[in-house]
Amino acid sequence: MIFADIIFIIIILITLAGALMTVMYGSIIYALIGLVTTMFGIAGLYIYLNAPFLAMMQILIYVGAITVLIAFVIMVIGPLHKKPKEWTYPLKLIIAAIVALFSFFMFAKVVLKAKWTVLSTPFAVTTKDIGRLLFDRLTFPFELISLLIVVAIIGAVMLSLCSRGEK
Amino acid sequence: MCDTIINIVNIVGKEVVRTVVGLIGVFIVVIGNAIMLTWAERKVAGHMQRRIGPKEVGPFGLIQSFADSVKLLGKELLTPANVERPLYFLAPTLIFVPVLVTFVVIPFDGFLQVKDINVGILVILAFSSLTVLSILIAGWGSNNKYSLIGAVRSVAQNIAYEIPLLLSLLPIIFMANSFSLRDVVEAQKGLWFVFYQPVAFLIFFVASVAETNRTPFDLPEAESELVAGFHTEYSGMRFSLFFLAEYTNMFIVSAIAVTFFLGGYQGPILPGVVWFFMKTYVLVFVLLWFRWTFPRVRFDQLLNFSWKILIPVSFLNLLVTGGILKL
Repeated sequence: MIFADIIFIIIILITLAGALMTVMYGSIIYALIGLVTTMFGIAGLYIYLNAPFLAMMQILIYVGAITVLIAFVIMVIGPLHKKPKEWTYPLKLIIAAIVALFSFFMFAKVVLKAKWTVLSTPFAVTTKDIGRLLFDRLTFPFELISLLIVVAIIGAVMLSLCSRGEK
Repeated sequence: MCDTIINIVNIVGKEVVRTVVGLIGVFIVVIGNAIMLTWAERKVAGHMQRRIGPKEVGPFGLIQSFADSVKLLGKELLTPANVERPLYFLAPTLIFVPVLVTFVVIPFDGFLQVKDINVGILVILAFSSLTVLSILIAGWGSNNKYSLIGAVRSVAQNIAYEIPLLLSLLPIIFMANSFSLRDVVEAQKGLWFVFYQPVAFLIFFVASVAETNRTPFDLPEAESELVAGFHTEYSGMRFSLFFLAEYTNMFIVSAIAVTFFLGGYQGPILPGVVWFFMKTYVLVFVLLWFRWTFPRVRFDQLLNFSWKILIPVSFLNLLVTGGILKL
């Protein structure tokens, strides 16, 4: 049992270190590496919780797609001409702190509200179970998420069209 | 002697021993494969250009690449003055993580597999996307315009070709009904999936050539315009790590293609490992052949080909496969 605890603590430390690196570093590319570390830490937590499918999806989507996209955006339009720390100012920090605290309290409330029952027998969630849940009980939220993505795509296209029009 | 080994195995646990032995085997395959492929590439290049290629060191020049790797090992590690030090050192190491992780799930034979994970194909796809991250870090850390341009190209190319790569493997997962690579191979007992899914195979192969940054899609390291692309500033052993990773990636994409489309380790008479390596090296030869026959494509052609042709076709293929399987 102690061995499992040690692994859990190591994973948590990796995740936290990555998160801190993301927000504290002045250089944007180091922040990106911190983000990747955090994503790997979260994937490690999924594996710890016996959900390898979710862990692989975490790496595939967040590390493989989203971080690479962020990296691409940094390289194409990022503040390369400015030195690190020049493009940030105190107001940004205050706003970020308010948002972070708000979401922290929200999550904390949800977590405290939930009833945690410890199962007597450990079980593994298979890919089949997840698929069944997504297309059966959770179809509505699942579809709502895709609506959100569609809105985001339309927004991105609009933004790029608008900035092209200015030129 | 034997008893002590059995005792040790019993104490540590079979899984741990299997993993350790498997990883050592993986290292041997990685190094041996890279040395063989450097020789093969030079030989193939030579014969395609009506030359002979290396012939002085050893029979048919076979030991040439050993001599080269010893030379690379002996070279001084130069670090240019203005590089971003942590990133510069991190990149060559990081490029090896996906390479080693992918080897863990590939079934070389019915039992020759380090670990059969029930989400095996997802492991491969998830970790192979890390390669682009290390290329990016290398390009950024080198503090050189050629490296950075090479890295940006690599990222754009990888985003574009990752999608058809994933979509071309999905129909196979539909047909095999499993994410485990061994189940996929077992499902091809009767007829190889390449006969059911020729379109998916072509898409996968084209996309994997792009993912490994090989000609005709080698824009990240286009010699004629970018010196050597993202690894311009690397020398000695650090350079050879990139080199090793490239040749290992060639082997990996061919091995995945064999596992998914060409029946994996299955074949008559000869043992499975022999079949597996034979099929894989035939595909690797095709990759080498590509390099010395096709000219490099232009960057807009490269991106258009993925977004306008490969992705719609693979979606269509997925739709048709799903429809037929449900009927």
